[in-house]
Amino acid sequence: MAGNASPTEGGFPSPVEQFHLLDIVKVNVGGLDLSFTTSAFYMMASAILVGTFLVQSMKGRHLVPTRLQSMAELSYEFIAGMVRDNVGSEGRPYFPFIFSLFMFILVGNLFGMLPFGHYTYTFTSQIIVTFAMASAVFIGVTVIALMKHGLHFFTFFFPAGAPLYMAPLLIPIEILSYLSRPVSLSVRLFANMMAGHTMMKVFGTFVVMLGVFGVAPMLVLVALTGFEILVAVLQAYVFTILTCIYLNDALHLH
Amino acid sequence: MRRDGMDSAFWNGIRTAGFGAASVAIFSIATTVVHAAANPEEGGKPEGGLPQLDVSAFPTQIFWLIISFALLYWIMSKMAVPRIAEVLEERQERITDDLETAERLKSEAEKVQADYEKALAEARSEAQGQIKAANDEAAAEQAKAEAEHAKKMARKVKTAETRIGKQRDEALESLMAVASEAAVEATGKLIGVTPGEDSVKRAVEAVSGDGRA
Repeated sequence: MAGNASPTEGGFPSPVEQFHLLDIVKVNVGGLDLSFTTSAFYMMASAILVGTFLVQSMKGRHLVPTRLQSMAELSYEFIAGMVRDNVGSEGRPYFPFIFSLFMFILVGNLFGMLPFGHYTYTFTSQIIVTFAMASAVFIGVTVIALMKHGLHFFTFFFPAGAPLYMAPLLIPIEILSYLSRPVSLSVRLFANMMAGHTMMKVFGTFVVMLGVFGVAPMLVLVALTGFEILVAVLQAYVFTILTCIYLNDALHLH
Repeated sequence: MRRDGMDSAFWNGIRTAGFGAASVAIFSIATTVVHAAANPEEGGKPEGGLPQLDVSAFPTQIFWLIISFALLYWIMSKMAVPRIAEVLEERQERITDDLETAERLKSEAEKVQADYEKALAEARSEAQGQIKAANDEAAAEQAKAEAEHAKKMARKVKTAETRIGKQRDEALESLMAVASEAAVEATGKLIGVTPGEDSVKRAVEAVSGDGRA
Protein backbone atom coordinates (compact mmCIF):
# COMPACT_ATOMS: atom_id res chain seq x y z
CA MET A 1 0.00 0.00 0.00
CA ALA A 2 1.53 3.22 1.19
CA GLY A 3 4.94 4.31 0.12
CA ASN A 4 4.89 2.06 -2.93
CA ALA A 5 7.15 3.07 -5.74
CA SER A 6 4.46 3.80 -8.27
CA PRO A 7 4.84 2.82 -11.90
CA THR A 8 5.54 5.74 -14.15
CA GLU A 9 4.90 6.26 -17.81
CA GLY A 10 7.35 8.46 -19.71
CA GLY A 11 8.40 10.35 -16.63
CA PHE A 12 4.85 11.11 -15.57
CA PRO A 13 3.15 9.24 -12.74
CA SER A 14 0.33 6.92 -13.66
CA PRO A 15 -3.11 8.58 -13.35
CA VAL A 16 -4.15 5.97 -10.81
CA GLU A 17 -1.09 6.65 -8.69
CA GLN A 18 -3.18 9.23 -6.81
CA PHE A 19 -5.20 6.45 -5.21
CA HIS A 20 -2.23 5.17 -3.24
CA LEU A 21 -2.61 5.64 0.44
CA LEU A 22 -0.01 7.44 2.51
CA ASP A 23 0.52 6.43 6.12
CA ILE A 24 0.27 9.25 8.59
CA VAL A 25 0.60 7.17 11.75
CA LYS A 26 1.58 3.54 11.49
CA VAL A 27 -0.63 1.30 13.64
CA ASN A 28 -0.24 -2.45 13.84
CA VAL A 29 -2.61 -4.51 15.94
CA GLY A 30 -1.74 -8.18 16.17
CA GLY A 31 -0.25 -8.30 12.70
CA LEU A 32 -3.19 -6.36 11.26
CA ASP A 33 -2.24 -3.08 9.62
CA LEU A 34 -4.60 -0.42 10.98
CA SER A 35 -2.42 2.57 10.06
CA PHE A 36 -3.96 6.01 10.12
CA THR A 37 -3.73 6.84 6.44
CA THR A 38 -4.74 9.79 4.29
CA SER A 39 -8.03 7.98 3.67
CA ALA A 40 -8.60 7.59 7.40
CA PHE A 41 -7.66 11.23 7.92
CA TYR A 42 -10.32 12.43 5.49
CA MET A 43 -12.94 10.07 6.92
CA MET A 44 -12.33 11.49 10.38
CA ALA A 45 -12.17 14.99 8.94
CA SER A 46 -15.54 14.50 7.22
CA ALA A 47 -17.15 13.15 10.37
CA ILE A 48 -15.72 15.93 12.52
CA LEU A 49 -16.47 18.68 9.99
CA VAL A 50 -20.08 17.57 9.50
CA GLY A 51 -20.62 17.07 13.23
CA THR A 52 -19.04 20.38 14.17
CA PHE A 53 -20.85 22.25 11.43
CA LEU A 54 -24.28 20.90 12.35
CA VAL A 55 -23.80 21.36 16.08
CA GLN A 56 -22.05 24.72 16.02
CA SER A 57 -24.28 26.34 13.42
CA MET A 58 -27.35 25.46 15.50
CA LYS A 59 -25.82 26.74 18.72
CA GLY A 60 -27.65 30.05 18.52
CA ARG A 61 -31.04 28.35 17.98
CA HIS A 62 -32.08 31.52 16.18
CA LEU A 63 -35.70 31.90 15.32
CA VAL A 64 -34.58 33.68 12.19
CA PRO A 65 -31.63 31.54 11.10
CA THR A 66 -28.17 32.88 10.46
CA ARG A 67 -26.45 31.86 7.21
CA LEU A 68 -24.74 28.82 8.72
CA GLN A 69 -27.84 27.79 10.61
CA SER A 70 -29.82 28.14 7.41
CA MET A 71 -27.37 25.80 5.65
CA ALA A 72 -27.68 23.22 8.41
CA GLU A 73 -31.48 23.48 8.36
CA LEU A 74 -31.62 23.23 4.58
CA SER A 75 -29.53 20.06 4.51
CA TYR A 76 -31.63 18.64 7.33
CA GLU A 77 -34.87 19.42 5.56
CA PHE A 78 -33.54 18.11 2.26
CA ILE A 79 -32.83 14.67 3.73
CA ALA A 80 -35.92 14.78 5.95
CA GLY A 81 -38.01 15.38 2.83
CA MET A 82 -36.24 12.57 1.02
CA VAL A 83 -36.92 10.13 3.85
CA ARG A 84 -40.52 11.30 4.17
CA ASP A 85 -41.18 10.94 0.44
CA ASN A 86 -39.43 7.63 -0.08
CA VAL A 87 -39.93 5.80 3.18
CA GLY A 88 -42.81 7.57 4.89
CA SER A 89 -43.28 8.16 8.60
CA GLU A 90 -41.85 4.74 9.46
CA GLY A 91 -38.50 5.96 8.24
CA ARG A 92 -38.15 8.48 11.05
CA PRO A 93 -36.03 6.33 13.36
CA TYR A 94 -33.50 5.81 10.57
CA PHE A 95 -33.27 9.47 9.70
CA PRO A 96 -30.07 10.16 11.72
CA PHE A 97 -28.36 7.27 9.94
CA ILE A 98 -29.43 8.41 6.47
CA PHE A 99 -28.58 12.01 7.20
CA SER A 100 -25.14 10.93 8.49
CA LEU A 101 -24.62 8.80 5.40
CA PHE A 102 -25.48 11.63 3.03
CA MET A 103 -23.36 14.25 4.78
CA PHE A 104 -20.44 11.83 5.19
CA ILE A 105 -20.36 10.87 1.51
CA LEU A 106 -21.04 14.42 0.33
CA VAL A 107 -18.25 15.95 2.37
CA GLY A 108 -15.92 13.04 1.52
CA ASN A 109 -16.55 13.53 -2.19
CA LEU A 110 -16.06 17.28 -1.94
CA PHE A 111 -12.86 16.88 0.10
CA GLY A 112 -11.54 15.04 -2.94
CA MET A 113 -11.82 18.28 -4.90
CA LEU A 114 -9.31 20.09 -2.69
CA PRO A 115 -6.21 20.85 -4.76
CA PHE A 116 -3.59 19.64 -2.26
CA GLY A 117 -1.86 17.01 -4.41
CA HIS A 118 -1.00 13.92 -2.43
CA TYR A 119 -2.49 15.36 0.71
CA THR A 120 -5.94 15.28 -0.80
CA TYR A 121 -7.64 11.94 -0.70
CA THR A 122 -11.09 10.90 -1.84
CA PHE A 123 -12.00 8.02 0.42
CA THR A 124 -15.11 7.33 -1.68
CA SER A 125 -12.80 6.35 -4.54
CA GLN A 126 -11.85 3.29 -2.48
CA ILE A 127 -14.02 0.31 -3.39
CA ILE A 128 -13.60 -1.16 0.07
CA VAL A 129 -15.01 1.98 1.70
CA THR A 130 -18.02 2.24 -0.58
CA PHE A 131 -18.54 -1.51 -0.39
CA ALA A 132 -18.44 -1.44 3.39
CA MET A 133 -21.02 1.35 3.46
CA ALA A 134 -23.22 -0.38 0.88
CA SER A 135 -22.94 -3.67 2.78
CA ALA A 136 -23.84 -1.97 6.03
CA VAL A 137 -26.94 -0.57 4.33
CA PHE A 138 -27.73 -3.92 2.71
CA ILE A 139 -27.26 -6.03 5.83
CA GLY A 140 -28.98 -3.45 8.03
CA VAL A 141 -31.95 -3.24 5.70
CA THR A 142 -32.23 -7.04 5.47
CA VAL A 143 -32.08 -7.37 9.27
CA ILE A 144 -34.79 -4.72 9.60
CA ALA A 145 -36.97 -6.51 7.06
CA LEU A 146 -36.50 -9.89 8.79
CA MET A 147 -37.26 -8.45 12.21
CA LYS A 148 -40.32 -6.60 10.97
CA HIS A 149 -41.84 -9.24 8.71
CA GLY A 150 -40.22 -12.49 9.87
CA LEU A 151 -40.43 -15.25 7.31
CA HIS A 152 -42.98 -13.22 5.41
CA PHE A 153 -39.98 -11.26 4.16
CA PHE A 154 -39.24 -14.03 1.63
CA THR A 155 -42.44 -13.25 -0.28
CA PHE A 156 -40.42 -10.23 -1.42
CA PHE A 157 -38.70 -12.51 -3.92
CA PHE A 158 -41.94 -13.53 -5.58
CA PRO A 159 -43.97 -10.57 -6.86
CA ALA A 160 -47.59 -10.81 -5.80
CA GLY A 161 -49.96 -11.64 -8.64
CA ALA A 162 -47.39 -13.37 -10.83
CA PRO A 163 -48.48 -16.79 -12.13
CA LEU A 164 -47.13 -19.66 -10.07
CA TYR A 165 -45.42 -21.40 -12.97
CA MET A 166 -43.20 -18.34 -13.35
CA ALA A 167 -41.72 -18.95 -9.90
CA PRO A 168 -38.68 -20.99 -11.06
CA LEU A 169 -37.69 -18.09 -13.29
CA LEU A 170 -38.76 -15.12 -11.16
CA ILE A 171 -37.39 -16.18 -7.79
CA PRO A 172 -33.76 -16.60 -8.92
CA ILE A 173 -33.93 -13.29 -10.77
CA GLU A 174 -35.36 -11.50 -7.76
CA ILE A 175 -32.79 -13.05 -5.42
CA LEU A 176 -29.98 -12.15 -7.79
CA SER A 177 -31.18 -8.59 -8.14
CA TYR A 178 -31.51 -8.31 -4.38
CA LEU A 179 -28.01 -9.65 -3.79
CA SER A 180 -26.52 -7.37 -6.41
CA ARG A 181 -27.77 -4.30 -4.57
CA PRO A 182 -24.66 -3.75 -2.42
CA VAL A 183 -22.46 -4.33 -5.46
CA SER A 184 -24.25 -1.83 -7.67
CA LEU A 185 -24.58 0.65 -4.82
CA SER A 186 -20.87 0.54 -3.98
CA VAL A 187 -19.49 0.27 -7.50
CA ARG A 188 -21.61 3.20 -8.69
CA LEU A 189 -20.08 5.58 -6.17
CA PHE A 190 -16.57 4.14 -6.36
CA ALA A 191 -16.45 4.06 -10.17
CA ASN A 192 -17.82 7.59 -10.50
CA MET A 193 -15.30 9.02 -8.10
CA MET A 194 -12.37 7.06 -9.46
CA ALA A 195 -13.20 7.77 -13.10
CA GLY A 196 -13.63 11.47 -12.45
CA HIS A 197 -10.36 11.80 -10.58
CA THR A 198 -8.49 9.70 -13.13
CA MET A 199 -9.81 11.90 -15.94
CA MET A 200 -8.72 15.00 -14.13
CA LYS A 201 -5.27 13.55 -13.58
CA VAL A 202 -5.00 12.55 -17.24
CA PHE A 203 -5.93 16.01 -18.43
CA GLY A 204 -3.64 17.55 -15.82
CA THR A 205 -0.79 15.47 -17.25
CA PHE A 206 -1.69 16.68 -20.74
CA VAL A 207 -1.48 20.28 -19.60
CA VAL A 208 2.06 19.76 -18.34
CA MET A 209 3.13 17.63 -21.32
CA LEU A 210 1.90 20.01 -24.04
CA GLY A 211 3.55 23.10 -22.65
CA VAL A 212 2.06 26.20 -24.31
CA PHE A 213 -0.57 24.12 -26.09
CA GLY A 214 -1.64 22.86 -22.69
CA VAL A 215 -4.19 25.67 -22.69
CA ALA A 216 -6.66 23.44 -24.55
CA PRO A 217 -6.66 20.57 -22.02
CA MET A 218 -6.55 23.23 -19.33
CA LEU A 219 -9.95 24.52 -20.47
CA VAL A 220 -11.25 20.97 -20.49
CA LEU A 221 -9.86 20.56 -17.01
CA VAL A 222 -11.74 23.62 -15.79
CA ALA A 223 -14.98 22.22 -17.17
CA LEU A 224 -14.17 18.80 -15.71
CA THR A 225 -13.61 20.30 -12.29
CA GLY A 226 -17.04 21.86 -12.35
CA PHE A 227 -18.48 18.60 -13.59
CA GLU A 228 -16.70 16.67 -10.84
CA ILE A 229 -18.22 18.89 -8.17
CA LEU A 230 -21.62 18.14 -9.68
CA VAL A 231 -20.84 14.41 -9.66
CA ALA A 232 -19.64 14.62 -6.06
CA VAL A 233 -22.99 16.05 -4.95
CA LEU A 234 -25.05 13.90 -7.28
CA GLN A 235 -23.46 10.61 -6.24
CA ALA A 236 -23.95 11.40 -2.57
CA TYR A 237 -27.60 12.06 -3.39
CA VAL A 238 -27.92 8.84 -5.44
CA PHE A 239 -26.36 6.71 -2.71
CA THR A 240 -28.70 8.21 -0.13
CA ILE A 241 -31.87 7.97 -2.15
CA LEU A 242 -31.16 4.33 -3.05
CA THR A 243 -30.65 3.64 0.63
CA CYS A 244 -34.06 5.20 1.25
CA ILE A 245 -35.62 3.03 -1.47
CA TYR A 246 -34.08 -0.14 -0.05
CA LEU A 247 -35.26 0.84 3.40
CA ASN A 248 -38.75 1.42 2.04
CA ASP A 249 -38.70 -2.05 0.45
CA ALA A 250 -37.63 -3.53 3.77
CA LEU A 251 -40.37 -1.77 5.72
CA HIS A 252 -43.21 -2.21 3.23
CA LEU A 253 -42.16 -5.21 1.08
CA HIS A 254 -43.01 -3.72 -2.35
CA MET B 1 -38.98 14.77 11.94
CA ARG B 2 -40.44 14.03 15.34
CA ARG B 3 -39.40 11.10 17.38
CA ASP B 4 -42.37 9.03 18.40
CA GLY B 5 -42.01 7.98 22.00
CA MET B 6 -43.50 4.48 22.00
CA ASP B 7 -41.84 3.10 18.91
CA SER B 8 -38.57 4.86 19.41
CA ALA B 9 -37.07 2.37 21.85
CA PHE B 10 -38.09 -0.57 19.70
CA TRP B 11 -36.75 0.97 16.53
CA ASN B 12 -33.60 2.04 18.26
CA GLY B 13 -33.02 -1.59 19.11
CA ILE B 14 -33.58 -2.73 15.56
CA ARG B 15 -31.45 0.02 14.16
CA THR B 16 -28.59 -0.60 16.50
CA ALA B 17 -28.85 -4.31 15.86
CA GLY B 18 -28.85 -3.83 12.10
CA PHE B 19 -26.02 -1.37 12.08
CA GLY B 20 -23.97 -3.35 14.56
CA ALA B 21 -24.53 -6.60 12.72
CA ALA B 22 -23.49 -4.98 9.48
CA SER B 23 -20.34 -3.50 10.92
CA VAL B 24 -19.25 -6.69 12.67
CA ALA B 25 -20.02 -8.82 9.64
CA ILE B 26 -18.07 -6.64 7.25
CA PHE B 27 -15.14 -6.30 9.56
CA SER B 28 -14.87 -10.02 10.20
CA ILE B 29 -15.31 -10.90 6.51
CA ALA B 30 -12.72 -8.36 5.51
CA THR B 31 -10.29 -9.48 8.17
CA THR B 32 -10.45 -13.11 7.10
CA VAL B 33 -10.09 -12.10 3.46
CA VAL B 34 -7.09 -9.99 4.32
CA HIS B 35 -5.48 -12.72 6.34
CA ALA B 36 -5.97 -15.18 3.51
CA ALA B 37 -4.65 -12.75 0.95
CA ALA B 38 -1.73 -11.56 3.05
CA ASN B 39 -0.49 -15.11 3.55
CA PRO B 40 1.79 -15.16 0.53
CA GLU B 41 3.86 -12.55 2.37
CA GLU B 42 4.95 -9.71 0.07
CA GLY B 43 3.40 -11.13 -3.06
CA GLY B 44 0.03 -9.68 -2.02
CA LYS B 45 0.74 -6.24 -3.42
CA PRO B 46 -0.16 -5.88 -7.06
CA GLU B 47 2.40 -3.47 -8.42
CA GLY B 48 0.76 -2.44 -11.65
CA GLY B 49 -2.93 -2.79 -10.75
CA LEU B 50 -5.35 -0.39 -9.19
CA PRO B 51 -4.27 0.73 -5.70
CA GLN B 52 -7.89 0.28 -4.61
CA LEU B 53 -7.61 -3.46 -5.13
CA ASP B 54 -4.66 -3.73 -2.77
CA VAL B 55 -6.15 -6.02 -0.18
CA SER B 56 -3.60 -5.13 2.48
CA ALA B 57 -5.08 -1.63 2.61
CA PHE B 58 -8.57 -2.92 3.41
CA PRO B 59 -8.53 -3.47 7.19
CA THR B 60 -7.27 -0.01 8.05
CA GLN B 61 -9.89 1.65 5.86
CA ILE B 62 -12.73 -0.44 7.24
CA PHE B 63 -11.49 0.17 10.75
CA TRP B 64 -11.30 3.93 10.34
CA LEU B 65 -14.54 4.02 8.40
CA ILE B 66 -16.34 2.38 11.31
CA ILE B 67 -14.66 4.68 13.83
CA SER B 68 -15.40 7.87 11.91
CA PHE B 69 -18.91 6.93 10.87
CA ALA B 70 -19.79 5.80 14.39
CA LEU B 71 -18.51 9.13 15.66
CA LEU B 72 -20.59 11.03 13.12
CA TYR B 73 -23.65 8.92 13.83
CA TRP B 74 -23.27 9.53 17.54
CA ILE B 75 -22.94 13.31 17.10
CA MET B 76 -25.84 13.27 14.67
CA SER B 77 -28.31 11.27 16.73
CA LYS B 78 -27.38 12.70 20.13
CA MET B 79 -26.83 16.35 19.32
CA ALA B 80 -27.33 17.62 15.80
CA VAL B 81 -30.66 16.06 14.79
CA PRO B 82 -32.54 16.71 18.07
CA ARG B 83 -31.28 20.27 18.12
CA ILE B 84 -32.25 21.05 14.54
CA ALA B 85 -35.60 19.31 14.98
CA GLU B 86 -36.24 21.34 18.11
CA VAL B 87 -35.41 24.63 16.45
CA LEU B 88 -37.54 23.83 13.40
CA GLU B 89 -40.43 22.76 15.59
CA GLU B 90 -40.15 25.88 17.70
CA ARG B 91 -40.21 28.02 14.58
CA GLN B 92 -43.21 26.16 13.22
CA GLU B 93 -45.04 26.65 16.51
CA ARG B 94 -44.15 30.31 16.57
CA ILE B 95 -45.41 30.76 13.02
CA THR B 96 -48.64 28.96 13.84
CA ASP B 97 -49.06 31.09 16.98
CA ASP B 98 -48.42 34.28 15.06
CA LEU B 99 -50.90 33.29 12.39
CA GLU B 100 -53.50 32.57 15.04
CA THR B 101 -52.87 35.90 16.73
CA ALA B 102 -53.15 37.66 13.40
CA GLU B 103 -56.40 35.85 12.70
CA ARG B 104 -57.78 36.81 16.10
CA LEU B 105 -56.74 40.44 15.72
CA LYS B 106 -58.26 40.54 12.27
CA SER B 107 -61.60 39.25 13.50
CA GLU B 108 -61.45 41.70 16.39
CA ALA B 109 -60.77 44.56 14.02
CA GLU B 110 -63.67 43.42 11.87
CA LYS B 111 -65.93 43.38 14.88
CA VAL B 112 -64.84 46.88 15.87
CA GLN B 113 -65.46 48.05 12.33
CA ALA B 114 -68.92 46.50 12.31
CA ASP B 115 -69.71 48.10 15.68
CA TYR B 116 -68.53 51.45 14.44
CA GLU B 117 -70.63 51.19 11.32
CA LYS B 118 -73.65 50.18 13.31
CA ALA B 119 -73.17 53.11 15.70
CA LEU B 120 -72.74 55.41 12.77
CA ALA B 121 -75.94 54.18 11.14
CA GLU B 122 -77.80 54.55 14.43
CA ALA B 123 -76.54 58.06 14.93
CA ARG B 124 -77.49 58.95 11.40
CA SER B 125 -81.03 57.63 11.74
CA GLU B 126 -81.39 59.35 15.09
CA ALA B 127 -80.21 62.61 13.64
CA GLN B 128 -82.62 62.22 10.80
CA GLY B 129 -85.44 61.58 13.25
CA GLN B 130 -84.52 64.70 15.19
CA ILE B 131 -84.37 66.75 12.04
CA LYS B 132 -87.75 65.48 11.02
CA ALA B 133 -89.23 66.17 14.43
CA ALA B 134 -87.83 69.69 14.41
CA ASN B 135 -89.18 70.24 10.95
CA ASP B 136 -92.61 68.98 11.95
CA GLU B 137 -92.65 71.14 15.01
CA ALA B 138 -91.63 74.18 13.08
CA ALA B 139 -94.27 73.46 10.44
CA ALA B 140 -96.94 72.98 13.09
CA GLU B 141 -95.98 76.19 14.82
CA GLN B 142 -96.01 78.02 11.58
CA ALA B 143 -99.41 76.62 10.69
CA LYS B 144 -100.75 77.60 14.08
CA ALA B 145 -99.31 81.09 13.82
CA GLU B 146 -100.74 81.43 10.34
CA ALA B 147 -104.15 80.28 11.48
CA GLU B 148 -104.14 82.71 14.40
CA HIS B 149 -103.04 85.50 12.22
CA ALA B 150 -105.74 84.69 9.71
CA LYS B 151 -108.33 84.66 12.46
CA LYS B 152 -107.13 87.98 13.79
CA MET B 153 -107.16 89.46 10.34
CA ALA B 154 -110.64 88.11 9.71
CA ARG B 155 -111.83 89.66 12.95
CA LYS B 156 -110.29 92.97 12.07
CA VAL B 157 -111.84 92.83 8.61
CA LYS B 158 -115.17 92.05 10.14
CA THR B 159 -115.06 94.92 12.65
CA ALA B 160 -113.93 97.21 9.90
CA GLU B 161 -116.75 96.01 7.70
CA THR B 162 -119.38 96.49 10.43
CA ARG B 163 -117.99 99.91 11.17
CA ILE B 164 -118.08 100.82 7.52
CA GLY B 165 -121.62 99.41 7.21
CA LYS B 166 -122.78 101.40 10.25
CA GLN B 167 -121.19 104.57 8.99
CA ARG B 168 -122.73 104.05 5.61
CA ASP B 169 -126.17 103.49 7.20
CA GLU B 170 -125.69 106.53 9.33
CA ALA B 171 -124.60 108.50 6.30
CA LEU B 172 -127.57 107.23 4.36
CA GLU B 173 -129.94 108.05 7.18
CA SER B 174 -128.55 111.52 7.58
CA LEU B 175 -128.67 111.87 3.83
CA MET B 176 -132.32 110.92 3.87
CA ALA B 177 -133.02 113.32 6.66
CA VAL B 178 -131.28 116.05 4.75
CA ALA B 179 -133.12 115.01 1.61
CA SER B 180 -136.48 115.00 3.47
CA GLU B 181 -135.81 118.42 4.93
CA ALA B 182 -134.72 119.68 1.56
CA ALA B 183 -137.79 118.13 -0.01
CA VAL B 184 -140.08 119.68 2.64
CA GLU B 185 -138.55 123.10 2.21
CA ALA B 186 -138.54 122.79 -1.53
CA THR B 187 -142.17 121.72 -1.55
CA GLY B 188 -143.05 124.57 0.86
CA LYS B 189 -141.31 127.08 -1.32
CA LEU B 190 -142.70 125.73 -4.50
CA ILE B 191 -146.26 125.08 -3.60
CA GLY B 192 -146.55 126.53 -0.14
CA VAL B 193 -147.72 123.31 1.27
CA THR B 194 -145.87 121.54 3.99
CA PRO B 195 -146.26 117.87 3.35
CA GLY B 196 -146.59 115.38 6.12
CA GLU B 197 -143.52 113.86 7.45
CA ASP B 198 -144.50 110.34 6.52
CA SER B 199 -145.26 111.05 2.93
CA VAL B 200 -141.98 112.90 2.55
CA LYS B 201 -140.13 110.07 4.00
CA ARG B 202 -141.77 107.56 1.72
CA ALA B 203 -141.12 109.70 -1.30
CA VAL B 204 -137.46 110.16 -0.40
CA GLU B 205 -137.09 106.48 0.22
CA ALA B 206 -138.66 105.64 -3.12
CA VAL B 207 -136.44 108.10 -4.90
CA SER B 208 -133.32 107.08 -3.03
CA GLY B 209 -134.14 103.46 -3.77
CA ASP B 210 -134.42 104.37 -7.45
CA GLY B 211 -131.38 106.53 -7.31
CA ARG B 212 -129.38 103.85 -5.71
CA ALA B 213 -130.35 101.29 -8.25
